[in-house]
Amino acid sequence: MLTKNLSPLQAVLMFAALVVVLFPVFWILMTAIKPPTDWNASPAIWFPSEPTLVNFKTLFDPDALGEYGVGGVSQPATKAVFGSILATFVATALSVTIGLFSAIGISRYGNGSKATPLVILSGRMFPPAAIAVPFVIIFSNIGLIDSYVGLICIYVAVTLPFSTWMIKSFVDDLPREIEEAAMIDGRSKLMAHLTVTIPLIKGGLFATTMFIFILNWSEFMFALVLSYTSVSTIPVQLAKYVTATAGTLYGVQAALAVLAMVPLVIVGYLIQSHLARGMTFGAIKQ
Amino acid sequence: MTAMTEQHPVLDMQGISKKFSGKPALKGISFTVPKASLTVLLGPAGAGKTTTLRLIAGLDTPDEGDVLLSGLNVAGWEPKDRGVAMIFDNLALYPDKNGFGNIASPLVIRGESKDVITAKVNEMAKVLQVTSILGRLPKTMSGGERQRIALGRALIRSPNLFLLDEPLSSLDAKLRIELRAELRRMQRDHGYTFLLATPDFHEAMAIADTIVMLRQGEVVQIAPPQEMYDHPVDRETALFIGAPQINLLAARCEASGLHFAGGRLPLPQHMQPFLAALAAFELGIRPENLRLAPVESAVIRATLADIESLGPKSVLTVRNADATLHLVVSSVEAVALSVGMDLGIELADPAKLLAFDAHTGLRLGHSA
Repeated sequence: MLTKNLSPLQAVLMFAALVVVLFPVFWILMTAIKPPTDWNASPAIWFPSEPTLVNFKTLFDPDALGEYGVGGVSQPATKAVFGSILATFVATALSVTIGLFSAIGISRYGNGSKATPLVILSGRMFPPAAIAVPFVIIFSNIGLIDSYVGLICIYVAVTLPFSTWMIKSFVDDLPREIEEAAMIDGRSKLMAHLTVTIPLIKGGLFATTMFIFILNWSEFMFALVLSYTSVSTIPVQLAKYVTATAGTLYGVQAALAVLAMVPLVIVGYLIQSHLARGMTFGAIKQ
Repeated sequence: MTAMTEQHPVLDMQGISKKFSGKPALKGISFTVPKASLTVLLGPAGAGKTTTLRLIAGLDTPDEGDVLLSGLNVAGWEPKDRGVAMIFDNLALYPDKNGFGNIASPLVIRGESKDVITAKVNEMAKVLQVTSILGRLPKTMSGGERQRIALGRALIRSPNLFLLDEPLSSLDAKLRIELRAELRRMQRDHGYTFLLATPDFHEAMAIADTIVMLRQGEVVQIAPPQEMYDHPVDRETALFIGAPQINLLAARCEASGLHFAGGRLPLPQHMQPFLAALAAFELGIRPENLRLAPVESAVIRATLADIESLGPKSVLTVRNADATLHLVVSSVEAVALSVGMDLGIELADPAKLLAFDAHTGLRLGHSA
């Protein structure tokens, strides 16, 4: 894996950084397979004495922890997993698609005015919490609260500045003459963008999609305040694993967190090869 | 081609203006490009050459004026409908397509059959001598190879008009001269209509039927190359065209004749009508219009300050109290000279002297 030799100091620092980054992941993985007695033991139990899948089982069967005398677990995580997948996939697809076309519009046609990119970015210039309360009120009035449509709208709105700006930077890097050559060769403007621009920035599109996906997948606050009963997502569900008798169900939370990591790890692995730039090399005289 | 379109020039630019964020790039330019001709848009960087080509191709929209292609006003037409091909200054090859794919793309877009495409591309590749690189991606090609592929992509469509934006600028000198001769030959042989933009007057002089001189968004002169060289519209044009540059010196016109560079000449015939009234003006003398003469009988006496050999010819720089002059002599003559010598200089042809208004820079006698 390492392609260059590190000095001893670099190696030590690198190792320390790895420990800091990977320790929480290790702890979550271990906690996910610990029985309730080990979750919160003191002194800490590093490796579970009896590894178990009961935490995972509890995610879909709330009574599974009964054998350990823990009851009163809230509803199964099925709906939350489904909700997260639905909201994240749809919102990410919409955000990237809309961002792509606004990026091309801004970068190539100067749509709006010079201030347009800045105005779009200004949507990110205040803390999301500042707009949460107004949104709760507005969404209550127009019937979008506690609905996936409403949640997706919010997710698209808050991630659109990122997708527009990120994709815009990739479009800006692509010489416009390449797509103009296609227009002169016989493509309509739209087709030139679909057949030339998009294939040439696909690495950037993948990276942007990944980023927006992570934002949406891990979003907590809007999902919490805009959902009551019919809508749920994994981050919201995580917060619900608290019982009156056993306190916080760390093992169950860890199990759900492990499940939530799976798509991110897969997408992250897939994205690597697409992050390489240099697709346009050779198109123009250097 | 119908009889109707036959009468119209391939391109007719009528009072085109274009501003970019408030700054004028083109200020009402007009010119025409006749069928089967090679017209060169000549001008320094920022003169508006690329903007002009982009407006013709439909990649930008003029603020004012009309673009007529074969007599038809193409306002609002998409680039694909205009029947023009363009070679960009950065070539803009498709980086993800190989040589074949690049040349074939206009045919693919048009929906030609596979057999037709293969046949046409192979034929074009033979003409351009790129058969061996058809399978390679642009990034693995040399500058000259990319140039030819870009040319092939434009030629294969047989458009009515070719727009070439500094197509040879990134090539080394030898290849540039080769390719420009090839371009010229191809244009003549097939009767193509070329509009080529370049900042290089050598290139323009070498290949143009007509030069359109562009400066700061305005057409300052339209003329055949030699005509523009001999009768530039103004001082700037005279300076832009020709290397070594034209000699410009302050001159006075008196009853006794023309005074310049410490010398005196009877007023040449062609200057009499418009110089008599003027006290001061600038005299333009092309370096090849000066020649060495015996010191005693010479019009101008000066000291040789520098000799620069160009091979067959040499450029001499001479100085006296009144002026610094450049003149071109054959290198055979220059061998006998050494820096510091006193030289006599006379005019080869007084009829070729140019005079420019000291204030406006316009050439006197220019009928504008």
